[in-house]
Amino acid sequence: MRIEIDGRKITAADGTTLLGAWLAAGHPLVDHVGCMGQGVCGACRVLVRRAGQDEATTELACVTRAEDGLQAAFLDDTTPHRAHPYHLDPTHDSWDAHGRVTEVFPEAPSCRHCDGCNNACPVDLEVHEGVVAAVAGDLVAAAGRFEDCVMCDLCTTACPEHIAPNHLGLFLRRMTTSLSLRPDDLLRRLHEIERGHMTIDVHASVEERG
Amino acid sequence: MTSAGIPYEHAVEAWRAAAPAPPRSLDVPAADVLAAHHPDHQAHGTTTLRVGANAGDRCPSVLADLLESASLVDDVDIAGTAVADTDVVVVGGGGAGCAAALTAADQGARVLVLNKLRLGDSNTVMAEGGIQAAVAPEDSLQRHFADTVRAGHLAGSRDLVAAMVHDGPDVIRWLIQLGVTFDTVAGDAGEVLMARGRAGGTTVPRILSCRDHTGLEIMRSLREAVALHPGIVVRDHAPVVELLTDTHGRCTGAVVVDLVSNAVQLVRANAVLLTTGGAGRLYVGSFPSSNHYGATADGLVLAYRAGARLVDVDSFQYHPTGLAWPSALVGQLITEAARGAGALLVNGHGERFVDEVAPRDVVAAAMLREMADGRAVERDGQVGLLLDVPSLVADQPEILTDRLVTLAKLAARAGVDPTAEPLMVRPTLHYQNGGVVIDEHGATGVAGLWCAGEVAGGIHGRNRVMGNALLDILAFGRRAGRAAAHAAGERIRRPVGLHHLQQWQRGLVDAGLPLDRRAPLLFPPESNVTPDDVMARCR
Repeated sequence: MRIEIDGRKITAADGTTLLGAWLAAGHPLVDHVGCMGQGVCGACRVLVRRAGQDEATTELACVTRAEDGLQAAFLDDTTPHRAHPYHLDPTHDSWDAHGRVTEVFPEAPSCRHCDGCNNACPVDLEVHEGVVAAVAGDLVAAAGRFEDCVMCDLCTTACPEHIAPNHLGLFLRRMTTSLSLRPDDLLRRLHEIERGHMTIDVHASVEERG
Repeated sequence: MTSAGIPYEHAVEAWRAAAPAPPRSLDVPAADVLAAHHPDHQAHGTTTLRVGANAGDRCPSVLADLLESASLVDDVDIAGTAVADTDVVVVGGGGAGCAAALTAADQGARVLVLNKLRLGDSNTVMAEGGIQAAVAPEDSLQRHFADTVRAGHLAGSRDLVAAMVHDGPDVIRWLIQLGVTFDTVAGDAGEVLMARGRAGGTTVPRILSCRDHTGLEIMRSLREAVALHPGIVVRDHAPVVELLTDTHGRCTGAVVVDLVSNAVQLVRANAVLLTTGGAGRLYVGSFPSSNHYGATADGLVLAYRAGARLVDVDSFQYHPTGLAWPSALVGQLITEAARGAGALLVNGHGERFVDEVAPRDVVAAAMLREMADGRAVERDGQVGLLLDVPSLVADQPEILTDRLVTLAKLAARAGVDPTAEPLMVRPTLHYQNGGVVIDEHGATGVAGLWCAGEVAGGIHGRNRVMGNALLDILAFGRRAGRAAAHAAGERIRRPVGLHHLQQWQRGLVDAGLPLDRRAPLLFPPESNVTPDDVMARCR
């Protein structure tokens, strides 16, 4: 099948991914690449237009399969220059968690519900619903929407209000975990170790398995 | 190496007739299967190193070609080049690099993180199954220590293993403080307990997880924490091609290629920390690889050339369950958590042939034996064994939605219904067991140079247990970051040069090795880019 990536015409074998086809055609690749097929690193963002399709979509080139007539263009990674800085302080007052969301992400309440983030997401998350839930104070549900997020930043690029939805989602996940996850077995074991009640004898005999 | 297997249609019939197949352990001692079938034990494709600290040691030829290579730069390249100063330079922003950078910066050091690709692009983000830490009441640090030493065939450094194991519970607390979540279960009295899975070759369930995308969960929090830390500067698309040394051989910085501006730059630092990861993209033994695109042994090459000693460079891990079909997805990994939960391996006759939770090297060798003896499965020219996921799902109906979510997605991409059809798998190059020799603080034999993560060796011996890689990178990343920040506290401005290269070049000439073979490789063989191409962009 014939495809086109970054203006280069490529003959792709059946079943290959866009990245695989690009490499097999002999083109150099020093960026827009990472996990090579697992779809978890967000490096290989491409704009894709399929034959007969009017609208372009944003996808990951390491998992998208070549289709006859498909056109794709790599999207450069750009660091969002409107950072939303925060520091997860373990002594922070967790009763104020909802307030912190709009403190760190002041643009979030301005969401214009355009669905740009949902359309941009290459792993089909309900990004917009996550933003809305976060603003409403439904923090655990909002965090859950971002469980499979690969931090490709496409929703951040797409958002006209500069909300940085994926960074908001990650903030929610990180904050709720750091403020609330206290497994009892872990607490007990740390207590034992820190009081010197559990040590390691490096000279103890260890037998090779049979 | 592999003879043709049993046609897939016949194999599936045999599987269906017997599923779930009854237990059948190895019919010969594990040591014999390892000796006959594990790639580490085969002389084919290896050579003896002739120069450097490990001269005389066996090494895979593809790695030896890089270790015994000439530098990509000489004095002409660095003459007149501007020098940037920092306290600590971290080369490679994966899990180990981010842990090191955060720890060093928290100690007050100015930290620069240099990435060949982007911050977070690493094997860490791809890790699935989980991380080991001895938190359960019936478990102990001693038990974790013994399991690790035993699985490594007693070859690992006991001091390094003890250091890593000791840090385990504290590493988990640190991750939670950074916002990394873990699966939990309710105890009998309603208390919150960490959910634990079983790793092959261990005596107690000790794998802590976030479903089967634990590495993604860890990496996205670490990456965000680094990106937001005011004491850390991050530069992407800026690979290191050589280390800088002073006249005493002390490492004093790094030579960087900026792939955005196509320029060679110098970084002078009081401490240089290599966290460059592994070597899976060298395709040792011509195996498919589960590794990240950047896993090209760069750090091994840089450290070795600067005089560091390596250990167990001839030992690699072959993960038993990389996908073997379809061809476009060969190398994609299915977590060991699947076998830990009860998924069976069967051959083309529908028979089991090994204890699925035996150590990884034993399971992989047993699979290679089935493949060599014609009992494997063949489909569209690909050869592998069958992973019986349907029987697992029949037994635990929620497992694909609750725990093995990555497996379910991969099966969908393969066009396989994992509730009805087994997946075809084969041993896949996964991990570099050895690496640069370090002490408990990540210090190498070269002054000024620290290593942590997969680039370092001596911890896992000749076989690593599932979940100990994520613990290793974080435990030693933090240790090395702390030590590097402490050393950098002197803030002495040392001269930078390429002093180690003179002796190195002489060694290559004396050994009759070519001077036109240059490394580090930077990009894998399939990249259509050589290291010389990269340098040509800057000239």
